[in-house]
Amino acid sequence: MSVFEEISEKLQRGKAKDVAALVTAALEAGEKPEAVLNEGLIAGMNIVGEKFKKAEVFVPEVLVAARAMNAGLKVLQPALKSAGVKPVGKAVICTVKGDMHDIGKNLVKMMIEGQGIECIDLGVDVDPEKVVNAVKESGAELVCLSALLTTTMTAQRDVIEALKEAGIRDQVKVMVGGAPVTQQYADEIGADCYTLDAASAAQAARSFFAA
Amino acid sequence: MTNRERALNLLHFKPVDRLPAVHFGYWPELLVEWAEQGKIPAELSRGWGDGNDKDMELDKLIGWDYNWSHVHGPVMGLFPAFEKTVLEVLPDGTQRVQNSSGLIERMHPGVVSIPQEDDYLLKDREAFETLYKPKMQFSADRIDTEYWKKYNEEVYDKLDVPLGISLGSVLGDIRNMVSVIGMSYLMYDEDEDLFADIIDTYAEMQYRCVEAVLEAGARFDFGHFWEDICFNSGPLLSPAVFEELCARHYKRRCDLLRKYGIDLISLDCDGVTEKLQQTWLDNGVNILFPIEVGTWGDQFEPARNRFGTRQLGVGAMDKTALRKDKAAVDAELERIRRMVSLGGFIPCPDHRLMPGTKFELVQYYADEIKKIRP
Repeated sequence: MSVFEEISEKLQRGKAKDVAALVTAALEAGEKPEAVLNEGLIAGMNIVGEKFKKAEVFVPEVLVAARAMNAGLKVLQPALKSAGVKPVGKAVICTVKGDMHDIGKNLVKMMIEGQGIECIDLGVDVDPEKVVNAVKESGAELVCLSALLTTTMTAQRDVIEALKEAGIRDQVKVMVGGAPVTQQYADEIGADCYTLDAASAAQAARSFFAA
Repeated sequence: MTNRERALNLLHFKPVDRLPAVHFGYWPELLVEWAEQGKIPAELSRGWGDGNDKDMELDKLIGWDYNWSHVHGPVMGLFPAFEKTVLEVLPDGTQRVQNSSGLIERMHPGVVSIPQEDDYLLKDREAFETLYKPKMQFSADRIDTEYWKKYNEEVYDKLDVPLGISLGSVLGDIRNMVSVIGMSYLMYDEDEDLFADIIDTYAEMQYRCVEAVLEAGARFDFGHFWEDICFNSGPLLSPAVFEELCARHYKRRCDLLRKYGIDLISLDCDGVTEKLQQTWLDNGVNILFPIEVGTWGDQFEPARNRFGTRQLGVGAMDKTALRKDKAAVDAELERIRRMVSLGGFIPCPDHRLMPGTKFELVQYYADEIKKIRP
C-alpha cells in the first residue's frame, strides 16, 4: 500500500492522528504536497462522499473523516503554501436569513473543503447583503445557500436577487440545498445548482471549478 | 364512542364510528401569530405544551379531539439538570447559553424555536464520569409518588384521550447533550466503549423510571419514545451501529410494557426513518410518528408494504396544506382516505403547525376529518 493509499484509508476510518502522522511522514519522504493533497486526502474524501451517496456510510463517518481531513490539512498547509499550491477555488457558504440550522451547511462545508476548495463560512441567519459583501471581498466564485425550513427557503431567492442588484450575479455560481428545497424550486429562483446531499454538493462544486 | 376507544380500535384494526381529529401541537410563534390575528385569546399563546390545559383549551376552540403526544412520565432526563447559564452576550445580542443538558447554544434575538448548537461538555470519559454519570442514575426522587397515586383517578379516568407513558429516549436525549457532531465524534472516540457506556447508563435509568411508574399501578393506552435522529437523507448514524448499541434498550422497555398489557408503542422521530424502522419494529416499537410527508417526503405506505399489518402509524398528513387553501386541504383529505383504508393508521399533521398556518383551514381540516368513516 502506498503512503497515499494509507492516508486515504485512515481518513476514511476517521483516524485523525494517524492521518496527520502519515502526512508528516509523506512530506519527510519527499512527496510533493499537491500529491499528498490530491492522491491522499481528497481521494479519501471522495470515497467517503461516494459511500455516503450510496448510504454505505452515514453522517458520523463523514464527520470523522472530515475531522481527519482537517488534521491532515493542518500539517500540509505550510508545505502547500511554500510550494505555491493554491486552493482549487473559493466558496462562500451560509444558512440563509431567519434559519438557525447549521448541520447540513457544516456537512456541505466539510465535504467541499475535502475537495480542496477554500470555504468562507458566514454562519447561520445571514443577511443577503453579508453574502454580497463576502463575495466582493473574497472574490469567491461559488455561493452555497442552505435552508431547512419552508418558511426560510424563500430567503435563498433574496440572496440571488441581492447578487443581481450588486451586479455580481454573473461572477458566481449559486448552489442551493436543504430539506424543503427541490430542483424545481432551484430553477424557479434562478439558482445554478441544486443537490440532494452533501457529497453531491461537493462534486458539483468541484465541477464548477474544473470547468 | 370515546376518543380512547376510537384510537385503540383504529390501531387494532377494529371498527370505529369516525376518524378522530388528532394533532401534534404548534410552533410557539404560530400561537402568537393567531393571538395577534384575534383568532385565539392572548393567554393561550403563552405556556402551551403537549397535553397541558392550554393545549386542551385550544383543542376545544379549534375542533381537535386530542394531541397524540399527550404523554405522562417521571423525570427521565438528567437529574438534577444542569443549571441554564448565560456564558456570554455577543454584540448582536446573541447569547451563548449552557442549557439544561450541558449543551452550549447560541440563542439569537427574536428566535424562539431553534437555537444553534455551539459546543458541549460531554467530550470524554472524565466528563462522563464526573459531570454526567451522577445525573443519569435512578433515584426515588425521580418518581412523584403523590402524583402517581392520584393519576388514575384524576387524569386517566377523567380525560377522554388516549394517554401515553413516556418511555424516554435511547439516543435522542444523548444527541441533545452533545450535538450531532459531538455524537459522531463520541462514536469514534479513542475510548471505544465510552459511547456505549453512556447509552447503557442512561437506558438503565430510564428503564427503572418506567418500571417504577408501572409498578405504581398507573394506567396508559400506549408507550411513547422520542428520538429525532434522522434527517432528509436518512439516519444520523449507521443502522448497524444503531442496531448494535440501541436495539436491546427498545426491546427491554417494550417487553416491560407488554407485561402490563400495553401493546401499542409509538416513537416520535423526524426525518426519513426508513433505515431504522426494522430495528424499531423488531424490538417492539410498532407505531411510526409523525411520518413527515411535507418536509422530508416520508410516507406511511412503504413501511406498511414492507412490514405488513405489524406496522402501525400516526401522522403523515402534510401540514403544509394548512398554510395554503381549501383545495390543498381537500387533496390531503383524499390522500388520507386512501391511507386510512389500510387500517392501523391515525392521520395527524406530520409535525408542529408552523407560522403561516391558517386558523380557518385548521378548523376546516378538523371538521372534515371527523366526517370520514373508515
